[in-house]
Amino acid sequence: MSRTVRIGVDVGGTFTDLVLHDPARGLTWPGKLPTTPHAPNEAITAGIARLLAETATPPGDVAGVVHGTTLVTNTVLERTGAVVGLLTTAGFQDTLEMAREIRFDTTDLLARPATPLVPRHLCRGIPGRIAADGTELHPLDEDAVLAQVRDFLDRGVEAVAVAFLHSYRDDRHERRVRELLARAHPGLPVTISSAVAGVVGEYERASTACLNAYVQPLISRYLDALDGDLRAMGIDAPLHVMLSGGGVTSLADAKEFPVRLLESGPAAGVIAAAAVARRLREPDVISFDMGGTTAKIAIVSGGAPRRKHDFEAGRVDKFKPGSGLPVRLTVVDMIEIGSGGGSIAAPDSLGLLKVGPRSAGSVPGPVAYGRGGEQPTVTDADLVLGHLAPASFLGGEMRLETTEVHKAIDREVAEPLGLDRIDAASGIVEVATASMAAAARMHLAEHGRDPAGFALVAFGGAGPVHAYGLAKQLKITRIVVPMRAGVMSAYGFLVAAPTVDQAHSLPAALTEVDWDRVAAVYDELAARATAVLEPVDAQAIRLRRTVDMRYLGQGFPIEVPFGEEDFGRADILRDAFDATYRATYGRSLDGPAEVVNWRLSAHLPGHDVSLACEPIEGDPKLGTRDVWIPGHGWLEATVWDRYRMRPGTEITGPAVFEERESSCCFGPECRIRVDPDLTLLVDLGQ
Amino acid sequence: MTGFDPIGLEVRWDRLAAATDEAASTMLRTAFSTIIRESNDYTVVLMDAHGRTMAESRAGIPGFAALMSSLTALVLERFPAAEWRDGDCVITNDPWIATGHLPDIAMITPVFHRGTLVGYAGTAAHSPDIGGTPSMGSADLLSEGILIPPLRLFREGRVEQGVKDFLLANVRLAGQVWGDLEAQSAAHAVCRRRAQEFLDDFGEPDFERFAAEVHAVTDAAMRAAVRELPDGVYRAGVDADGIEGHPTHIECAVTVDGDRIGIDYTGSSAQVPFSTNSTLNYTRAYSVYPLKILLDPATRTNWGSYQAIGVTAPVGTIVNPTFPAPVVARHLTGHLLSCAIYRALAPVLPGSVIADSGGAPALRVRFAGVDDAGRPFSQMLFANAGMGASRDKDGLSTTAFPTNSGSGSIEALEVASPLRFVRKEFRAGSGGRGRRRGGLGQDVEVHNPTRRPVQLVLLGDRERHPALGLAGGEPGATAQAVLDSGERVPLKSISQLAPGASVVISFPGGGGFGAPEDREPDLILADELGGYTPGESA
Repeated sequence: MSRTVRIGVDVGGTFTDLVLHDPARGLTWPGKLPTTPHAPNEAITAGIARLLAETATPPGDVAGVVHGTTLVTNTVLERTGAVVGLLTTAGFQDTLEMAREIRFDTTDLLARPATPLVPRHLCRGIPGRIAADGTELHPLDEDAVLAQVRDFLDRGVEAVAVAFLHSYRDDRHERRVRELLARAHPGLPVTISSAVAGVVGEYERASTACLNAYVQPLISRYLDALDGDLRAMGIDAPLHVMLSGGGVTSLADAKEFPVRLLESGPAAGVIAAAAVARRLREPDVISFDMGGTTAKIAIVSGGAPRRKHDFEAGRVDKFKPGSGLPVRLTVVDMIEIGSGGGSIAAPDSLGLLKVGPRSAGSVPGPVAYGRGGEQPTVTDADLVLGHLAPASFLGGEMRLETTEVHKAIDREVAEPLGLDRIDAASGIVEVATASMAAAARMHLAEHGRDPAGFALVAFGGAGPVHAYGLAKQLKITRIVVPMRAGVMSAYGFLVAAPTVDQAHSLPAALTEVDWDRVAAVYDELAARATAVLEPVDAQAIRLRRTVDMRYLGQGFPIEVPFGEEDFGRADILRDAFDATYRATYGRSLDGPAEVVNWRLSAHLPGHDVSLACEPIEGDPKLGTRDVWIPGHGWLEATVWDRYRMRPGTEITGPAVFEERESSCCFGPECRIRVDPDLTLLVDLGQ
Repeated sequence: MTGFDPIGLEVRWDRLAAATDEAASTMLRTAFSTIIRESNDYTVVLMDAHGRTMAESRAGIPGFAALMSSLTALVLERFPAAEWRDGDCVITNDPWIATGHLPDIAMITPVFHRGTLVGYAGTAAHSPDIGGTPSMGSADLLSEGILIPPLRLFREGRVEQGVKDFLLANVRLAGQVWGDLEAQSAAHAVCRRRAQEFLDDFGEPDFERFAAEVHAVTDAAMRAAVRELPDGVYRAGVDADGIEGHPTHIECAVTVDGDRIGIDYTGSSAQVPFSTNSTLNYTRAYSVYPLKILLDPATRTNWGSYQAIGVTAPVGTIVNPTFPAPVVARHLTGHLLSCAIYRALAPVLPGSVIADSGGAPALRVRFAGVDDAGRPFSQMLFANAGMGASRDKDGLSTTAFPTNSGSGSIEALEVASPLRFVRKEFRAGSGGRGRRRGGLGQDVEVHNPTRRPVQLVLLGDRERHPALGLAGGEPGATAQAVLDSGERVPLKSISQLAPGASVVISFPGGGGFGAPEDREPDLILADELGGYTPGESA
């Protein structure tokens, strides 16, 4: 019998979440351990050992382990990566530090941009030049390459990045540098920009290459060590790694392009929401993931998350675009705002109530946690409003400090603003919800969409708690709350598909596209993707082609899908572009169009995994309690234990649903159904 | 006042601010004008029924939003409120009414709610073309393009075909000009829809109650910030190259009197027969912006934010010229105002101001010609000078201030033109010395590899007048453009780059802050290691 057991592991800042899934036994088994920051593999191996023991699974039965890590993100944020030397085209060695020459915050005269990953004295220009059409104007000065890298090594450089002008068009000089260094300095990691991000734009490509080089030594060591640990446990299945675009890849590919692991945890949450949407046959959902410090909102359309192809790592200010290091990479397109359970509420200098982006995080955390937090947070307001039960939070492991919470909200919010405690608490929730609603509206509007008509899939510790208020503000009439809101990322790892995303720039007017060249580019991209995916299943590879297009003279391209049969058909591409533009901006234009980047996304089918588990015996009705419900005020609601609810159960609000890591409540107009996966389907009516 | 509680007001304000940001994003993404995209030369506002801004887009030129209320008041004189219908749209580019030169087209549309006129949406954005003769130094306004007095472009949602035809017949790139007017219209549609939803969702009949409150809040915040300053008159003068025979002098007196602050430019140069004149509107915008970020950076802006600030200048000066003064290069004067205001206030706000920035005023560079295959091209080079240092921090290198024009990709420029960029690198030693060093400028070397000459348009200043330092800091390096023949190209000129020739354009550095002798040894060493200063050996 073939092996069926798969394990997802999500290493977060505070907890390492695991999920073991075995379709043969109908088993979905979660686990949670404190993260071991000094050596993340310790918590992983301990967690896997525990899951295997708890489910009586022999290590040899494991068919795959999928891993997601914040290590890349944190390495950039904390600046703990390798010493990198950058080689550029001579005359352009300042490309990295000059960056985009913008002030990311025009209201702060003294704001400083993110410090480059490579200091100026380790950015060196190399004679040699490729023109915009790919012709070689000056040959590469190979002696200069070797001399500069010898000097790099004398100065302690541990990894080299290479970013030459127009290497997206012709990469011969970059490849030559890689060959030279492989021979002269075997073992020295070298990232060439054309391989990591083959798109036009010298600064963003160089930035991506440097970031890859910066994290590569650390990530390689870490992944190799983890792989070794798994083998030592008797697991001989391949280790897969979650990518920022929502797919997974092989160990070897992850080690070559570790930059693609950025933000893979949040991406996995959206992938999980998409899987839930597919199981429910919901075409359009908003994925709403609210944790301790932030809320993340993403669009899932036709069962797949929207993706985009640029990202910023290591922002100086997490919520200010332009304050980080740009990375050309495929990521799940989500908007992240500073509204989480731990977001701190306080009046500003104008006497208005602000919530976030400052957060109490997990340490000291909300006042309710009793770990020294003194400033009231969203979670504290939730407690005052009856959304959280003091005795049963985290399955009763943590008793919430009601008295201290009351004092803090009175002292910090109610008294300064002249409100009573309940108005203060409901105000905190209202302000937090309003900013999430504004962010959601903005994000959808950018894609020409309106929230009405979407269903809201809520997860993360605080997501279900605020789903009802957010849905009301967005005029959304359906809410979906999957089981196990706290381990959705780990679940996302299990359903994610092996994926290779690549791009190649060939900027040209649509009428002047060199289709032979485009076909050759796609052959090359497909060959590279196949090399990664073939060992898994060559037959099942699916290819999706898109092209970034804009009207000639515009600055922002949009991504237009097309088929292999459309090669050479500028007319079909033009129609597809106009249609996509119209869907996004409500109108199309007459002028000439141009193409910028040709993209290929190659993937294998994902896994269909149920989150269901066998309900526990017993009466699911725990009693009643008074809950403050947005738009209704205080109501007596029935309290339900989600672990005891059976599929097919139908109830009407007001109702509170409790599970270990979260809770949710719905108003009297709501009809709530439990589906076969134990997901709550909530209909708010009109 | 029948006020909102602190929660109700915050939720409402946040909602309306998000609406203008959403509208701005719509405009930006669909615009053709590179100036809108790259230099943020636009604004989007929502106003109440009196034409007072309630919410302003965060991105864009902050000072421009401050002009939208006075602009709407003037438009309403010609088109009284009673005559407006749903779906109307009025445009104007009159430099004395709108944002100071003809390429900027302002648009005003009404917001109706349940049959009542409850407010207006306003935008201003740089058009891809506005007609006229591209030349250096027009003698009067009308050679700079077509002047659009306030005119209805749409009446009840239907285009006024005559106005459209007349406008498009007088511009180049008519398709792109219309495309950008449509992008502006799209932003207005977003504002209108969101404003109506706002009133519906909060059950308000109009914006009166909300506007009164947010105006009171911002007015109080600005006045509180002004009150922190000691009363007095603070003066500074700034000199710039200006034009041959007419160097520009800005004389600035900042008067703080309780909770009011007045900026007066009496003593500044007379208006000139050259495009560097800055209408009082533009002067006001570029006075309000540096002041706002100095005094009260955190508060969201609206009409109330500007009530404590007065900006005056004698008629007939370069900062308040009379019609038909040419104005297309108004930034060469307007950008200087930030230097004057910060120098004047340096004694009372030493930790908050910055020394002169090399990019005040910005140096604009354009290349145009025909490639060897016969295809025409015209490309702006976006590159920046160094910013001035502050008391505590070195100035940012190659960063625009007071604009935020950013830089484009050299690869993209080489794709769109036959030009060859030889280098784009920091100018070592170009930052003014000081305890805190001015930001570095840059050298950009451009080669013409074609068989035909390429037109080179330079529009800048600081050839003879560097960005000065503060508190003993030294000036940054001056700007220049030099051909490979050794010949200098003036920074206000249209010239030819011969086949095979190259030009090096050197962007100036920012001024330093504090005495150079007080710079810490570790910072001097770091500068030498990084090559930011030439070092002992060089």
